[in-house]
Amino acid sequence: MATAPVVDTPPAALAETPVTHPKKGILSYWRLYAAISPFYLLFLAFGLIPVGFSLYLSFHRWDGLGTMEFAGLSQYRYLLSDTQFWTSIGNTLIIWALATFPMIFLAMVTAVMLNSAVRFKNLYRFAYFLPNVTSIVAVAIIFGSVFSTNFGLANALLQAVGLDQVAWLNTPWGIKVAIAVLMTWQWTGYNAIIFLAGLQTIPGELYEAARMDGAGPVQTFFRITLPLMRPVLLFVLIISTVTGLQTFSEPQVLLQTTDNNSSFAGGPGHSGQTMVLYFFQQTFDNNDFGYGAAVAWGIFLVVIIFSIINWRLVQRRGED
Amino acid sequence: MRLSRRGLLRAGLAGTAATALGGLATGCGVPTGSTGRNMVLWYWSGGLSPKVVQDAKARYDSAVNLQAIQIGGYYRSKLMTTMTGRAHIPDIAGLKGEDMASYLPNSDQFVDLRTLGAEKLKDQYLPWKWDQGIAPDGSMVGFPIDCGPVAHYYQPAVFQKAGLAYEPADVSRELATWDQFFAAGEQLKKRLPGTFILTDALSVFGISVNQTTKRFVDKDRHFIGDQEHVRTAWDRSVEATRRGLVSKIINGTADNTSATERGLLPSQLNASWAAGDIKLNVPKTKGKWRVAACPGGPSNIGGSFLAITKACREPEKAFEMITWMLDASNQAQGFVDSVLFPSTPASYAMQKLREPDAFFGDQVTMDVFGPAAQNIPVAFNSPYDIALSTPINDELRNFSVLGKDPDKAWRDAMSKCRRIADHLGVSY
Repeated sequence: MATAPVVDTPPAALAETPVTHPKKGILSYWRLYAAISPFYLLFLAFGLIPVGFSLYLSFHRWDGLGTMEFAGLSQYRYLLSDTQFWTSIGNTLIIWALATFPMIFLAMVTAVMLNSAVRFKNLYRFAYFLPNVTSIVAVAIIFGSVFSTNFGLANALLQAVGLDQVAWLNTPWGIKVAIAVLMTWQWTGYNAIIFLAGLQTIPGELYEAARMDGAGPVQTFFRITLPLMRPVLLFVLIISTVTGLQTFSEPQVLLQTTDNNSSFAGGPGHSGQTMVLYFFQQTFDNNDFGYGAAVAWGIFLVVIIFSIINWRLVQRRGED
Repeated sequence: MRLSRRGLLRAGLAGTAATALGGLATGCGVPTGSTGRNMVLWYWSGGLSPKVVQDAKARYDSAVNLQAIQIGGYYRSKLMTTMTGRAHIPDIAGLKGEDMASYLPNSDQFVDLRTLGAEKLKDQYLPWKWDQGIAPDGSMVGFPIDCGPVAHYYQPAVFQKAGLAYEPADVSRELATWDQFFAAGEQLKKRLPGTFILTDALSVFGISVNQTTKRFVDKDRHFIGDQEHVRTAWDRSVEATRRGLVSKIINGTADNTSATERGLLPSQLNASWAAGDIKLNVPKTKGKWRVAACPGGPSNIGGSFLAITKACREPEKAFEMITWMLDASNQAQGFVDSVLFPSTPASYAMQKLREPDAFFGDQVTMDVFGPAAQNIPVAFNSPYDIALSTPINDELRNFSVLGKDPDKAWRDAMSKCRRIADHLGVSY
């Protein structure tokens, strides 16, 4: 090795990289590596080793206390033929879609309104952010009474406008809508704040120019605000995907009273059972740790697939 | 000593490495419990009487320092994790009744209580409860804490208005069988529209199975959930739903509380400990309840055990403590403090437990619970019961809540069970 390998580093990093001598390898920087090692050591002990162990576990049968039996690929074979797992993937995606699109719409509207508001701006921001930091368990309990069949707020509203009652927590779609509404309520304010930050980076001159050219507020929004907000929108969409695919607490707390034998079943017909809820049920209700690990890796694959889709979207944006 | 910067860095590094690896280093070798005077007891909120725990601390203070820790959240997972990690294992651990089946196959992790002289105390405890703590290999893992005899909680004023029997002795006699109970439910519905005798169909199924001597998987790892006893319980639950005796109201919701207060759900089939829940959830109904015998005979829901882990350094001392904490008079205290129904029949005659209960219109509820607890049928609890009863419960809910055809629901339940049995290595 006569020359140092060419490393594709961003310019900022290049400026700080000292000239490397051929005989000086990684070892000469041991102090620097030592300085950043605590995180990596902790990550190794509490992140990587457990992840590796769960992969090892997914090829075994284990009840959590006794001896492990090697099971080869049988846990994965069983996973692929398990209709309940596929149902839970479907549930997760439906709930995610039901929650995310209204949430993004509402957050955008809220952000635009906040952006034009003059008085009490900080108070509004605080108020909109509040749902996101409220204990999810407390919220789910409140929503449980909102969606009660006879005395719930949701049905009282329906009846006020002359519609029939809906047995929210006893019908497959009612359950999904209830969970989605809860998630929407929780995340709208959070994302509105992110959108607001995005809106404030748009230069005022553009709006002034639009006004000079006689564009109305609607036209201005669709021609100027939305195109410039694209990266922020995409960011919010990706974050929502990652959190949405891991939905667990909302259905767990909302539906735990509907199942008297398990708090992870996700209501009648498993209508509200998300992937992570299914993982919990298999692992901790049935003490089937080997299969639980296989389910976890199944979830991992699903998340990876969606991350790739997201990434491609971002890539395409970059090429535009 | 002058500390150089380099020396400091080295020291810091060594410290970090020691911290990161320390957790791993202790995880190997001999299981470690407590040492010397310290004795750690794990239980959960409401699992033991706080007063009895305090008394035990004081009583044994000269010999051991008892640290009773209430573990919150998913107790079983935390206990299993600790035992698998082989560090900081409690000397004495509470085991929940519904989890026993998963602990018993791993009896080697616990001290066999027979070796400490448990047999001498056997006749002081309910025989069926005693047997539940014994592993398939014959060793005794769990020492009985409490049990949960099922009774019929009802509101006499509503029953009277519907022209039904309303005195506890009469209700026990006239609603003794499921058929009589269902007939009463029909009459209740007819006379008082909007009133239901049952809140959910699944409780009928669960209690009916518990009234038999079999469950879902037998000792030989064979699936028996397709047999007569399960099918009868299933049909019974289907019948109750078909006859319109089951309300659509979900347990534990605001609707449920409101309907109960208004007398629209005047009846509950539930374990002795549910009395505490009723008092907590609908305090306004004080004095409006009575207790009668459960239709179809006695059964049990829940109840726990104390076990001594292999990590314990002084099993004799631990055994002395748990047997004292769970003797007849302390179990009576447990009932007074935490509605823990004693597994020691001698407690049932004690004055403490025969106090009239104002919430139940000054009824002496022990007259109902005591005889029920003594006559509970014994069934083998398999570690595979939960996995193989889940599809049956699920499909029953699909029928009762979502309106699926019951015969198709049963067939689907059975085919799901066979798939799961294959996966778990259970024969059928």
